Amino acid sequence: MIKAPSTSLLRAFSPLWRAESVPWVARGCIAQQVHFSTAEQRMARKKGMGPKTDMRITLIRYHLQHPLTPRPLRFSRTRALRHWTIHRAWRLYQNKLRLTRQLELERQYNSMNAACEALRLMDGDGLTQEERSKLGAEIEGSNDMGRLYRIAMKKDDGVRADAVGKGVPIEYARIQTETPPRDGWNSAWTR
Amino acid sequence: MNAAPQSARRIASANNAFFVDTVCFSCRNRLSQQSRRHAATAAAVSDPPPATSPQASSRAAAPIIAKGPRKAYRLMAAPVLSRPPLLTRDLNSFEKAFYLYQKRLNERLAMPFSRYFYYNKGTPADPEWKRKLQARKTPSRDIGIYDAYGNEGWNDEVLVGDRTGERESVVEALIRDAEGKSIVEESEKDQGAVTAGDAQLGEGQRRETTKIEVERPSSRETEADRSGDVKSLNRKLDRTLYLLVKNHEGRWRFPEDRVYGRENLHQAAERILIQSCGINMNTWLVGNHPIGHHAHHYPSQKPIVSKISANALVGTSKESEKEEFGEKLFFMKARIMAGQPDLGSNAYGLQEWAWLAKEEVDGRVGRSYWASVKNMLVER
Repeated sequence: MIKAPSTSLLRAFSPLWRAESVPWVARGCIAQQVHFSTAEQRMARKKGMGPKTDMRITLIRYHLQHPLTPRPLRFSRTRALRHWTIHRAWRLYQNKLRLTRQLELERQYNSMNAACEALRLMDGDGLTQEERSKLGAEIEGSNDMGRLYRIAMKKDDGVRADAVGKGVPIEYARIQTETPPRDGWNSAWTR
Repeated sequence: MNAAPQSARRIASANNAFFVDTVCFSCRNRLSQQSRRHAATAAAVSDPPPATSPQASSRAAAPIIAKGPRKAYRLMAAPVLSRPPLLTRDLNSFEKAFYLYQKRLNERLAMPFSRYFYYNKGTPADPEWKRKLQARKTPSRDIGIYDAYGNEGWNDEVLVGDRTGERESVVEALIRDAEGKSIVEESEKDQGAVTAGDAQLGEGQRRETTKIEVERPSSRETEADRSGDVKSLNRKLDRTLYLLVKNHEGRWRFPEDRVYGRENLHQAAERILIQSCGINMNTWLVGNHPIGHHAHHYPSQKPIVSKISANALVGTSKESEKEEFGEKLFFMKARIMAGQPDLGSNAYGLQEWAWLAKEEVDGRVGRSYWASVKNMLVER
């Protein structure tokens, strides 16, 4: 069994040989293949023969590689210390921001929750069962208890027949920018 | 009567909130029909249909006593109209310094810029690129003058007080680059060495071919900010502003009104917005559920007897009289996208309006109202 000669030199010096350095989506673009022995290729090669190579693909592949990558940074002792300090400070700051954001959302949610609970326990007269007995109002078997709550819990789907409302208007999707518009807020808008 | 129908009837009495939330619609119907049948055979009283009037049907025949007006709480809705922030927030000094630090580190870690891939030799873009690069040594325009691959590549940290990372200098650099100048002013000597002389103006003078005017972005701080105009929506563009109105008593609150007839909160809030602020506002009521509530109990033994007239805009409202012991106010979230309020023909006697940020709302409303409202408002 003949052992194949080592291709390590070829791998080291020929960029075309190293298929793993090319992104997998570009594998199909490798028209030009490096052959096992250069001698055979030279004798067999004819002018204009062989698969047509795309110059753009070659250029892109060449420019994706550079001898300076990968390149780990080398820091002096104090420079490394400064970097570590900055990293720690940034993590601390981001955690603080995240916490404040979380707390604000929680506050908003709890406010909503309490409001919906009040709605659920209320009937058409605005009284809960407890308030009814306290005020001595007559206990009625009406089906108004929590009616507004049930309507409030209906979700706005936009297409369902029993959905309340029609979906989100496009103007609501305006994103925040760095600087304001030239004409400012449109105060003269009319229906 | 054995135990089962009795307990079923107790559960089935439709004012039981647990029953209504956990039992399905068809089962509820069946159970209430059964209990109605029992009641009919026992007392021979026919129930009027519950849909037409808010009065409940009495199950047993009772002697007709002269009753006063119904006891109730005033049910109200209030739209919380807000303008979301139009601008991104300002960065503090730590963030600005950190972002500049990260950008410069990225210069050191990223591959060097391959000029010939983007600028072909012989095209006019090539010498322009070379000239610009010579001035700032890096393809990036917002990190100042820094060469990650040169001898001074180790010197990537800027000194304290450096203005390179500030918004103004970044914007300035980008605009200068777009206008074809180098991002920093070069000394006259260097400039003269690079350019060839112009025939008419003389040696070493650069001829201005076309002056490229790049439109500068508007200032983040607007006229309304400087004058403190609380009626303007151009003020505090990086914050959320809420609409507060001054009612006929002189109190600052969100626009509010009763819920009439068979209105739900969403419909009530939309109506109140139109009745108080006019139709020339592009608004959207965000959800069907309230975002907050405010319960106010009138001082005991002093209920208000209110004559409620039918509201012209609400079809299902009727004239009625109720003895009210307090009020329950539910807030609904709304957003404004264009327009301004107009209190000219408002139905509630509102005197004034203002667009205020969260802490400014705190300054204007009463203490118990603020306690109910503060958790649903947003800091930014």
